[in-house]
Amino acid sequence: MITIVFGVFLLTLLLIVAIAIVREQDLFTAVTLMGIFSLLMAANFFVLDAADVALTEAAVGAGISTVLLLGALALTPGRERSIPKGRWLALVVVTLTTLVVVHATFGNPRLGDPGAPVHQHVAPWYLEQTPELIGIPNVVTAVLGSFRAYDTLGEVIVVLTAGIGVLFLLGLPGAVGERRREELALGRTYLSHHLVPQVVGRLLIPFILLFALYVQFHGEYGPGGGFQAGAIFASAIILYALIEGEREALTVISPRLLVWMMAGGALLYGGVGVVTMLLGGNFLDYSVLAEDPVKGQQWGIIVIELGVGITVAGVLLAIYHAFAARGR
Amino acid sequence: MFLAAAFAILVTMILAIARALVGPSVYDRVLAVNMFGTKTVLLLSVVTFLFGRPDFLDLALAYALINFIGVLAVLQFFENRHQDDADRAEDT
Repeated sequence: MITIVFGVFLLTLLLIVAIAIVREQDLFTAVTLMGIFSLLMAANFFVLDAADVALTEAAVGAGISTVLLLGALALTPGRERSIPKGRWLALVVVTLTTLVVVHATFGNPRLGDPGAPVHQHVAPWYLEQTPELIGIPNVVTAVLGSFRAYDTLGEVIVVLTAGIGVLFLLGLPGAVGERRREELALGRTYLSHHLVPQVVGRLLIPFILLFALYVQFHGEYGPGGGFQAGAIFASAIILYALIEGEREALTVISPRLLVWMMAGGALLYGGVGVVTMLLGGNFLDYSVLAEDPVKGQQWGIIVIELGVGITVAGVLLAIYHAFAARGR
Repeated sequence: MFLAAAFAILVTMILAIARALVGPSVYDRVLAVNMFGTKTVLLLSVVTFLFGRPDFLDLALAYALINFIGVLAVLQFFENRHQDDADRAEDT
């Protein structure tokens, strides 16, 4: 009951903010409203008990998406182009689609209905078998890392592809040669002459990194895992870049290393699959990694989550640097 | 107890959203988003205890740690824009 009240409340706010974002002509305002949209979304996921998804939304939405949207905004005019009139066809299509979707929701099972199809398919099997086959408390990590490891490998490749796409469009300075390194951060002001953000940021960066490691390696026990940890790790480095200047951040993690991280994480993931095949199992069947199949599963999940984290952090940082270098 | 606190926080969230929607200046909106972030941290913390899942407090921690990065990015965005405007004024 409380869940439904909270859910309806948050979704109503979400709707209001979404309409405001669409109607807003000033793009900067739209970006700030996107921040609220993301927070509402995370709270909503959380109220529905999807802590892992909520943590992902939190890790990406709290810092990185605002930073990246502002980076994109620095390359574009600040206002939306006014839309030509006479788009009745679009309105009709949207209205019809909305009506169909609303009609379809009446066929949905009640929230939390145990007889719903989603609870009848493979979910009970996952819930039953996870303690026995994998032996970790967080079933989400078990499904993501082991039962559905192919899907997760696909997701990592998608993240990698997105990163490659952005780098093709914008370019990552210094990734090929070190020539442009000196040109970076020239004629650009950073927050380094503002004392308060700098002191607070410097204090917080170690804790953010520590939290990222905690989320990375605690994913088997609580909400978390490679995707979230990678985003949080990238947030810490982006914070460093914001308060100390980008050149400093690129000294810590060089563009060359970023490219290696992007590809290396995915390679590590795929490599685990190849190793399991060489040991006589199926692709990404971790049971053969150790004497005890359950231990093998746990080792496999830890290693592939690490691969996911490295790729996500590398891609997010590379995209950030690509935007930031382009913005000047 | 927790329920009352949660609803009080929800009401504050509405006020913050109203400020972010109305504006009028950019700084009103930035402040509203920042405050909304703080309220989300509070709401998540209260709801974890309300639902009896205090181990999900990680989420509130994540927000508390990285929520202000967006605001710093906004500050830098404006600083750079002012700088660009100043440069342009010098050039002309």
